[in-house]
Amino acid sequence: MIGIISYLVFFATVASILSIAVLGLNLQWGNTGLFNGGVVAFFGAGAYGTLILGGTPQAGQLGGFELPYLIALFGGMVIAGIVAWVVGLLTLRLRHDYLAIATFGVAVAFENVMRNSDWLGGAQGIRGFERPLREALGNGFSYNLAFFVFVLVLLIATYVFLERLIQSPFGRLLRAIREDETAAQSLGKSPSRIRLTSFVAGSVIMGLAGGLYATFYAFISPQDVLPILTFQIWAMLIVGGAGNNKGAVMGTFLIWAAWTASGWALSRFAPLEVQLYTGSIQFVLIGFVIVGMLLWRPQGLFPERLVVSQSAKTK
Amino acid sequence: MNGLRTSALALGLAAGFASLGTDAAAQDCTTKIGAVLPTSVDWGKPIAATAQYVVDIANETGGVAGCQIEMVLRDTQVDPKVGVDAAKALVDLDGVKLLLGAVSSGVSMPILTSVTVPAGVMQMSCCSSSTAFTKLAEEGKTNGLFYRTFATSGVQAAVGAMVAQEQGYKSVAVFYKNDDWGQDIGGLVAEDLEALGIEVTASIAINDAQASYRAEVTEALKGNPEAIYMALYPKEGTQVVREWISLGGSQNMIAANALKSDEFRDNVGMQFLGNFIGTDTASPRTESADAFVEAYTARFDGPPNGPGLANSYDATMIALLAMHAAGEGATGADIAAKVGMITDPDGTLVTADAEGFARAKEVLDEGGTVSYQGATGNVQFDKNGDVSAPAVTWVFSESGIEEQKYISLNEVNDFMSSLN
Repeated sequence: MIGIISYLVFFATVASILSIAVLGLNLQWGNTGLFNGGVVAFFGAGAYGTLILGGTPQAGQLGGFELPYLIALFGGMVIAGIVAWVVGLLTLRLRHDYLAIATFGVAVAFENVMRNSDWLGGAQGIRGFERPLREALGNGFSYNLAFFVFVLVLLIATYVFLERLIQSPFGRLLRAIREDETAAQSLGKSPSRIRLTSFVAGSVIMGLAGGLYATFYAFISPQDVLPILTFQIWAMLIVGGAGNNKGAVMGTFLIWAAWTASGWALSRFAPLEVQLYTGSIQFVLIGFVIVGMLLWRPQGLFPERLVVSQSAKTK
Repeated sequence: MNGLRTSALALGLAAGFASLGTDAAAQDCTTKIGAVLPTSVDWGKPIAATAQYVVDIANETGGVAGCQIEMVLRDTQVDPKVGVDAAKALVDLDGVKLLLGAVSSGVSMPILTSVTVPAGVMQMSCCSSSTAFTKLAEEGKTNGLFYRTFATSGVQAAVGAMVAQEQGYKSVAVFYKNDDWGQDIGGLVAEDLEALGIEVTASIAINDAQASYRAEVTEALKGNPEAIYMALYPKEGTQVVREWISLGGSQNMIAANALKSDEFRDNVGMQFLGNFIGTDTASPRTESADAFVEAYTARFDGPPNGPGLANSYDATMIALLAMHAAGEGATGADIAAKVGMITDPDGTLVTADAEGFARAKEVLDEGGTVSYQGATGNVQFDKNGDVSAPAVTWVFSESGIEEQKYISLNEVNDFMSSLN
């Protein structure tokens, strides 16, 4: 029994961390219409930043500053924000698929830079992060539970922040730009600045998710920032419902549950001869869920609630 | 709610597999072990099949510590998140005390740091080569729970340095491919050379698919080395050697196994390769290794040609024997502590087949130790859970590639310990 609870806590921690990243993407795509194809670059910048700032020194590597955990985590977010700001300045004049291709390229470049820079861990990655409060909480279940509560608090904080943000005038402005940029401009707004703000804010949130991810595993390597992660995060948002924060979180839990539960069910119930092919079968099952979703419910499980502006409602 | 119907259908499919499930357990008790391997990749499947083969052998001989073994296999998809989740599920839900895997170092490492070490589960990897595991073990962070049967790049690097010493080179420049393998071996060979008192004039990274390496070669020439060491693949290796020789570099060359190709010889030209010596890790020249090849061929209708198969075989064998030695209800640490009893050089010799497995169990039950003669030779772990391997040196000839010298496991071990 304790095993099941322990696993569920573990699962919920990973799903909550991924939810934070999906919420970041939802701000960019769901609310502002920015097609970010390079989610892993900002996720990775946060992850690497946090471990470099908060890890222990390793021979021949940058970092090991051993900063307190919260400061390291915040530093990781700042680094993700800086990367996003530079990338945003260069690419945000591009639209739609062009932006997607450019940001995808940034993500691939990010992975390659990390793989080739010995002083950033190289292909072996960065390890040697000491989990905070480990002495007090031990290494086992209680530690995982405490970390889960910490992640959950951050997830709720991010959720509330984004909910309030999109209900504010700024949120309406984001949607105005998403729907018709020229119209927004004609009303005296500056779409390019707002797009950049939204892009950086979303990326900082992804950076937070990356920092949590890396510290949870106490390890990050280029293998963690492959394009598959971008695909997974997008799938979570599409299934959950772009433009709806609740959908983003639900979609993450659902897809990650499908991803892991299908592997578990196949390993447990499939006959021995099929066992060796469970990986392939799993891919088919997951692809089936995503394609089915796109065919029958393209707006996602929780579609965006379209809000008529308040002044129009009172008439 | 079409979406829900779809998911329901998917669940139904998964449940459908349940009804197909067969119960293999014939004995009173079953012990589960976990395996996290990349079965969705083509070269990963045979590694998993080999592990399952060993489990079948163990069960034929009456199981381990009186119980049948059931290997629960999970796919990593070569994705660290998926691999760690699978490992956690095996440890928490199936309660395994022994975990086999993973293949990629980038997957094995987070499993080790966030699942197996905190839970006190023994982890045995067949195929992770990164030197980061050695460093982690030296820092005492693996709690002695991690073992691997794949020789680190250290063996080839050491043999490369050995060749340089035997040839009497006083200074060497190192070229390495810019990936994890190349970075690893390039760094190690430079350390080994310096330990032998040979000057390393330059260590130069070679990126893939450049049109020219003139800048890199010129850089290496500045130090005027007597010889060069190359951890490169044939395509880049050919380019580098051509430019190196055309700019007047020395023809004294040492290279890692990646250049062992006729394509490289033909494209560079035999007249320039007279002083070229290559290194490679070798299959051991022992009966036990031949026996493994035979048994494998009979079982799978083909020789074990994929990467990591012999390693996977030995990893599973040793882990299961250690589990037997630790007895019923052993924890991960108990099992890990018994590994030394299986690979004791002074123990009773046992072969790597059903007969040997049964014999080993008898010896262990009587309180003795065994020396397991495996598919990769008489495996011996050092204090960090690493293994070594025999090596060969080879040269190019008019007719192809010829082996020059076989360096046995003991010679490799002695040489490597003399370096430290």
